[in-house]
Order: sequence, then C-alpha cells, then structure tokens
Amino acid sequence: MKNKLGLYVHIPFCAAKCAYCDFYSLAGAQDRWEEYTAALCDRIRIWSARCAGYEVDTVYFGGGTPSVLGADRLTAILRTIRENYVLLDDAEITCEANPDSMTDGFLTGIREAGVNRLSMGIQSADDGELRQLGRIHTFAQAQDAFARARAAGFANLSVDLMYALPGQTMDGLRHSIRALLALQPEHLSCYGLTVEPDTPLGRSHPVLPEDDTQADMYLMLCEELRAAGYEHYEISNFARPSFRSRHNSRYWRQEDYLGFGPGAHSDFGGKRLEAPRSLDRWLSGELLEEDTDIDRAAEYLMLALRTSDGVDSERYQTVFRRDFAPVEQALRPLITAGYVQNRGRRWSLTESGFLLSNPILVSVLEAVEPEN
Amino acid sequence: MKDQAFIRNFSIIAHIDHGKSTLADRLLEQCKAVTEREMSSQLLDNMDLEKERGITIKARAVRMEYEAEDGQTYELNLIDTPGHVDFNYEVSRSLAACEGAVLVVDSTQGIEAQTLANTYLALDNDLEILPVINKIDLPAADPQRVKQEVEDIIGLPAMDAPEISAKVGINIEAVLKDIVENVPAPDGDPAAPLKALIFDSQYDPYVGVIVYMRLIDGSIRPGQRVRMMATGAEFQVLECGYLRAIGMEPTRELCAGEVGYFTASIKEVKDTRVGDTVTDAETPTAQALPGYRPAQPMVYCGIYTEDGSKYPDLRDALEKLQLNDASLSFEPESSVALGFGFRCGFLGMLHMEIIQERLEREFNLDLVTTLPSVIYQITKTDGTELSVDNPHDYPDPAEILEAKEPYVKASIITPPEFVGNIMPMCQERRGIYLDMQYLDTNLVELHYEMPLGEIIYDFFDALKARTKGYASLDYTICDYRPSDLIKVDLLLNGDAVDALSFIAHREKAYGRARRICEKLKENIPRQLFEVPIQAAIGGKVIARETVKAMRKDVLAKCYGGDITRKKKLLEKQKEGKKKMRSLGSVQLPTEAFMAVLKLDEE
Repeated sequence: MKNKLGLYVHIPFCAAKCAYCDFYSLAGAQDRWEEYTAALCDRIRIWSARCAGYEVDTVYFGGGTPSVLGADRLTAILRTIRENYVLLDDAEITCEANPDSMTDGFLTGIREAGVNRLSMGIQSADDGELRQLGRIHTFAQAQDAFARARAAGFANLSVDLMYALPGQTMDGLRHSIRALLALQPEHLSCYGLTVEPDTPLGRSHPVLPEDDTQADMYLMLCEELRAAGYEHYEISNFARPSFRSRHNSRYWRQEDYLGFGPGAHSDFGGKRLEAPRSLDRWLSGELLEEDTDIDRAAEYLMLALRTSDGVDSERYQTVFRRDFAPVEQALRPLITAGYVQNRGRRWSLTESGFLLSNPILVSVLEAVEPEN
Repeated sequence: MKDQAFIRNFSIIAHIDHGKSTLADRLLEQCKAVTEREMSSQLLDNMDLEKERGITIKARAVRMEYEAEDGQTYELNLIDTPGHVDFNYEVSRSLAACEGAVLVVDSTQGIEAQTLANTYLALDNDLEILPVINKIDLPAADPQRVKQEVEDIIGLPAMDAPEISAKVGINIEAVLKDIVENVPAPDGDPAAPLKALIFDSQYDPYVGVIVYMRLIDGSIRPGQRVRMMATGAEFQVLECGYLRAIGMEPTRELCAGEVGYFTASIKEVKDTRVGDTVTDAETPTAQALPGYRPAQPMVYCGIYTEDGSKYPDLRDALEKLQLNDASLSFEPESSVALGFGFRCGFLGMLHMEIIQERLEREFNLDLVTTLPSVIYQITKTDGTELSVDNPHDYPDPAEILEAKEPYVKASIITPPEFVGNIMPMCQERRGIYLDMQYLDTNLVELHYEMPLGEIIYDFFDALKARTKGYASLDYTICDYRPSDLIKVDLLLNGDAVDALSFIAHREKAYGRARRICEKLKENIPRQLFEVPIQAAIGGKVIARETVKAMRKDVLAKCYGGDITRKKKLLEKQKEGKKKMRSLGSVQLPTEAFMAVLKLDEE
C-alpha cells in the first residue's frame, strides 16, 4: 500500500486585512496573482518527483483568503496537482473562503474543479462584532453565501466562529452559535480571539472577557454543539459524524504533508520544513528552513492530547519505544479534578482539560523529559 | 612629642541632610588637608551607598593642621560619626574620643529628633558643643529662629554661633576659630601606661585590621606589645600613624591626646571591638575606659539567594562584610520554601537594609529575605530559658511559662499639628505614652515606650506617611517585658510554609495574618487546582483565602504551521516553571514571595 500524503496550498492574499490578523498576507496585490499562481504550479511540479511513492488523499487551500484568487487560478493549481500526483478519487479537497468573495461563478468553478469541502470564515452572527474584527461581510451575506454553496453542490461545509470577543456576552455568543447552527454546517471550528500586539486590534487595547468568562463561553459552546449532534474531536473543532477534517487531522496524527507557498510548513520524509514567510523571498526560491529539533514522541503527546481520541499508551510504547509510566503519572492525578479521562489504553483531556491544555502539556512534557 | 595644648579633637553632629559631610569637606579644604583636585565631594563617607543615602555609616577620622590667628599651628582631629539610631553605640564611642562637637543645624529646618539625640549623647560624654547654623545661602534660611530654637530647646548659648554655608563656603574660618578657642585641649598623662579608645576598625586585605583610636594616656609605637582589654587579644604593633584625608601617614610614635591608627597583622575586626581599650601588654593601665558594650544584634532576618546555587557566594559575601562589620552576625539556616540561607543579626533596620543592599550591589546577589524579627526571651515550664530570633524555633505554647519581648524608649519630634496623627498610630502599635513636651511653639517631643517588634514592622514608613515626612524618630532599647506572644503559621494547600511563619502579639496577629493571606492571594498565580491559603495558630485557622483554580490556558489553533510555535511556547512555559519555587504542590514565582515578605512597604 502506498503512503498517504496531504498537500497544503497557501494563498497569501486577502481582499482586506482583518483587524486581528498577524499572518503574512497581502491585501489587494492583484498584480501578483498571476505570477504567484504560476510559481506555485512550478513548485508543485518540482516536488512531485519526490512523491512518487505517495497517494494524495487531502488537499487544502488555505490563506490568506484563497477565494480571492478566483476559481480559474485555483482550478489551474488543482489541475497541476492532478497531473503530477496520484490524487485519490475520494480525496478531501478543501478551500477556505470568505462570504464576500463567494460568487456563484466561483462556487460552480471550484466545485467543477473538484473542491468538495468549503471552510467559511463567518466568525459571528453579529454585524457589530464583524465590523470590529475588520471583516468586510455581514452575517446576512454569510447566510446567503452558505445557501449558495449548498446549492452549488457542496455537501461538506465548515464554518469558523470566534468567541471571547471584546464586549461579547454569554447571551451574545449563544445567539451567534445558534445562528450558525441554523445553517446546519457539517463542521465548525471555534476559536477564542487571540489579540496579537502588533495588529490594529492589538493596538486598540481591547478589553476581552475575563479568563473565567472565556472558559464559561467555551464550555457553553461545547454544550450547545454537543446538543446539536456535533462531535468535539479537537480542542477547537467540531464535526457531524464522519465529517472530521481529514486534512487537519493529519497534523494531529503526525502524518505526512507538503506545504506550498510562503510560510507554509511541511512534514515530509521525517523532516519538518518551513518556507520563507515573505512572498518575494519565497518567489526567489530561497531554501526551506529545517526544524532539526524534533522529538516525535513528545510531539505525539502534545498533538494527540489536543484530540478527543487522545494518546494511546500502546502506540506510544511500540512506535516511540518509550515508557508510558511517566505520562500516566502526570495525567492520573488530573482525573479526579475532571481534566483527564482514561479508557483502557486511551488517555484524553476533557473539555475543561482542553481549556488548560498548556499547563497540562507542560507537566506531561516535564515528566517525560530525560533527566539532565 | 606634640604639646597637647595644640591638639583639638572634635566631631560634627547633625541630623541627616543638615550638611555634616559638606562641612567636613570645607574644613579639610580650608586647612589644605586636600588639594582641590583630590577633593571628590564628601571625602569622609567613602562607601558609595553612603553617598547615595547621604548618611555616614562607618566612622572615620582625619587629621589636619590649622594655623590660627595666634600664629600657632593646631592639630585638629575630626572624628566622623555614623548618623543613625542603629549605630547609637558607635556614635557614643566616637564622641567619647573627642573633647568637643560641632553641632550643625539646618537654618531652614531647625532641630529634629536626631539632632537632639546626638546632642544628648555628646553631653553625656561631657563634650563642649559648638552650634553652627548652616545653609544660610538658601532663601528659606531663618538663622535667628533656629538660634532661638537651639537656646530654647537644647539650652546652649547660640546667639554668637557662626552662620555658615558649607555648600558655598561661607564663614568656614569662623568654625575653625571656634574649635580652637572653645574645644578643650586633651589633658591625658603622656607618661602613664598606654590607654587608648578604639572608635573604629577596618579590615584591609594587605595589612589586616587597621585600628582607629584616640590615645588618652601614654604612647604607642611599632614593636610594642598591646592588649585589647575587653577581648583579651594581644598583638605586636607593626605600624602606627596619622589618618590623613588621603591615606595614612606612618609615624614613629603616637602620644596622649592624639588620634591615629595602628596595624598589627590582626585578622578579624571582632578582636578590635569599638569601645574597647588598648593598653600596653607589659605595663597595662589599671582600669579600662568606661562604656564598652559588646555588639548586640537587635533585629534578625533570614537571607537567601533567589538562585539556590548561589548559596556559597552568599556565604563568601557575608564573610567578607563581616571582616569589616563586627556587629553583623550570621549562621546557616535552611527553609523548605527558600532552600539554604543564613539567619542574620543586625543592629537595627537601617543596618539590615545596608547589608542587604551591599550584598546585592557589591556581590551581585539577588536576595530573598524573610520578615525581620526581634529576639524574644522565653521561659519554659521546665524552667529552661531561651532566646528566639526565628519563628521556626518558637516552642509549643503549652511549654511556655512566660514570653518577653524587647521594648524601646522612643522619642518622636514633630510639628504639633501631627500629634493627632501620631498618637493613635503609637497606640495601635502598643505604645505606652509617657509624656509630651513642647520644645518650642513649633515643635513637640513625644515620649513612648514601644515594643521593638512594632517599630521594625512598619513604624518608620507609617510615621513618615502620616506626618508628611516632618516627624523624626529616635529610640533606645530599654528592657524586656512579658508579652502575650503567639506564633502564626501560614499554610498553602495545607502545608506550612516555614519562611512565612511569624511571632506577634496576640492582638496584632489576626490583622497581620489576614493581610499576609490577602497578599498571598494577590501574588500566587492560579494553579491547576484551587489553593487554600490559611493562617493558623497551633491547629486553629484564624484567616483564610483561596486562590481559585486556573480555568483557561490553551492555544486554540494548532495546524501544520503552528506546531513549531506551539512547541516553543510549551518549552518557554516549562522553563518558566523551573524558575518557580515549589511549596508542596503549589508553584509560585520568587517575586510572589518577595511581595509577601515586603508586606510593610505598602
């Protein structure tokens, strides 16, 4: 059986910069779209030589805002992938899209090109909040875009929601959650707002809800989504049964992926690589940086504990040849506090455990750290 | 041999900031004891710390020659005095080495508690006191009022006192003239056996201890065998000489009435205690000079390094400081919370602060210090007696027959409008009111007896705060008195934190315990679990707070590009955790500890 591979294609362009975003992306810059698309296709072709032994089962267009590039260019990129890689028929092909750039032409175009999953940045059902975040669409536009995506034949739609926004109340959040659930998406990604200092939002020093309120918001969110039949399979991700994001899951399972575009990461053939973050440096063909400090066993713990599947003690011992006892020692005392659950070989964090995953992971990593 | 008729030995006494050091500089200049080039301001204070705080910590002496109007050259020995209540004894010994004292009073401020205290010390030593009115160059100067104050309050004739400005150099000659005319010449017996008063000593890595002394009778010369009468130590003098503004000047012999130094390969300052009498080992003087008192630490605290691995450095640093400071005592102690450190004894709060600051500055140590404590005297039910300076050693209440704590006589001088603020403050601190005197219409002196434990806790700061800085405080230890003392333990998550235990009077214990609990709550970062904070006497909890469990610390996104970043974040958190101090199951940063231990700095 061939190895499976995921491809990540980064589109570093946006229609406008969101107030909270500190990612590398260029607002506007239409003049560079063509050049960039060509360069991407080149790189995709070049790398295919090393991927002969692989079957591609997920493709993910992320950004930035991939939808700004338009259906034709995305189609060209997908065509290049098909021509140079073994792309499985049942591959999950996702494209991130913002409501404001989801024209009917775009939707039909990419559906025809083979994209079968859309991840929509809706973020909130409150237009005031959307404006504050620097989003250039209203919730009505988002609802409309969603309906049109369904009509265009997308059977797998994911929506993004942000919570813990400045001034947000529990009731306000509940309203947004229910409005998004009313759309009946297959998948939701819900992120607490992180204020990065070097963004317009950060510079305005917004007052976020207290940590305790944020925690309550998260737990309420989990509750609402569970009641609506969604499975909480990763800290920030919820899916109808069998609609987990297959592409994103490979990050948490340490499966191979290749990333194309500035700042894109790859984990391929045992190496973790990072492309230069600026478009010009990436275009000039500057070499990828390699992360040489990889402790796969520690990463396994760090990533698997993000998921509801959790870590598998057998797998930890057989694959990484490490003793699980220290991990268990770190996790077991957290069961009574309700942060950790254990079923047979499986150890995972509960929802209140997810909220504290940083300090919990720190104690786990401390426990497995080799004695100096 | 110098004719004693031409020697004058004097000190300068003043309140902090009234210009003592500046005047000393001007006198040295006037007598050409230093060239202008050598004149780095305030020569007599040669520790940096002193310069910054404007106070003199270690006494020094300097000899200068002054050609008077009568054509004679006089040998003037200026003996500098430490300027703080903690060093009262050292001040009294420096004064005992003199026949006169120049009393500097700030013409913009007038008399303050310390001025008075030092004047009384000088009078106790039968010194001729010469008032000098300083800072007349300032617009706020009111020399006439201040002279009147000196006459009314101290009872010294002051109308003819020189009006000077040490800072700009006005009328310095008048001060010198006053000294020659009015300070009595020494009248010891040059032919009698050696009798000299040690007023200071200093360790030098090359020659050993340099002993500063005032010869009363007899003489001293190299080769002579001398004995320290209180410690019994004997040494052969290697060198003796005069103290100059810049360095030392060896001489063949020092005689009765003179001030100078000797060296004798002495390894430790504790052999040459301030106040001790130096005499000839072969033909000793019959009677030692009066007034010697062994150094007695009054305030104790634990000193630890923030980084436990620096413990040996702390030990070395304390040993080095002790070479020059016989009143600093220390012994190793260990604390579950803070690791290895030292229990250190000090003359008082300022002495403690100075030592802590020198450890941090001169030896680059980051310190954690526990709350200061006084020495309690305990009589146990089985009749044994013990002194306790560390809450850790406090016996079980059931075993205590009687507990005593040290009391001081405190004198507070303040403008009358603040009396209403001060009295309740002293009351709160268990002060016993003795009396109140109007020194003049603008100044009141209050006398209280107070537990030293209350003074070291937060009295200084509170007094300054409630009198806009106008009130001044002076105190002397008087005695030990029975007291209703209890030991309070602090518990985090049920475990006692030894470094936070304290001994207090029962009435005060509750309030302090509550405040410490609140402070801990503010400073302990939230943990994965709820952390109860309790203060307890024996098994009885008297105060309680809770640090709620942390609710949220999570990185929401972790996709391909975030893995490296996430790893770094966790790595950083892990490093941060290593810097925390673990108290049982509770992690807290050192800063949290320090915030609690510095409770009195609010």
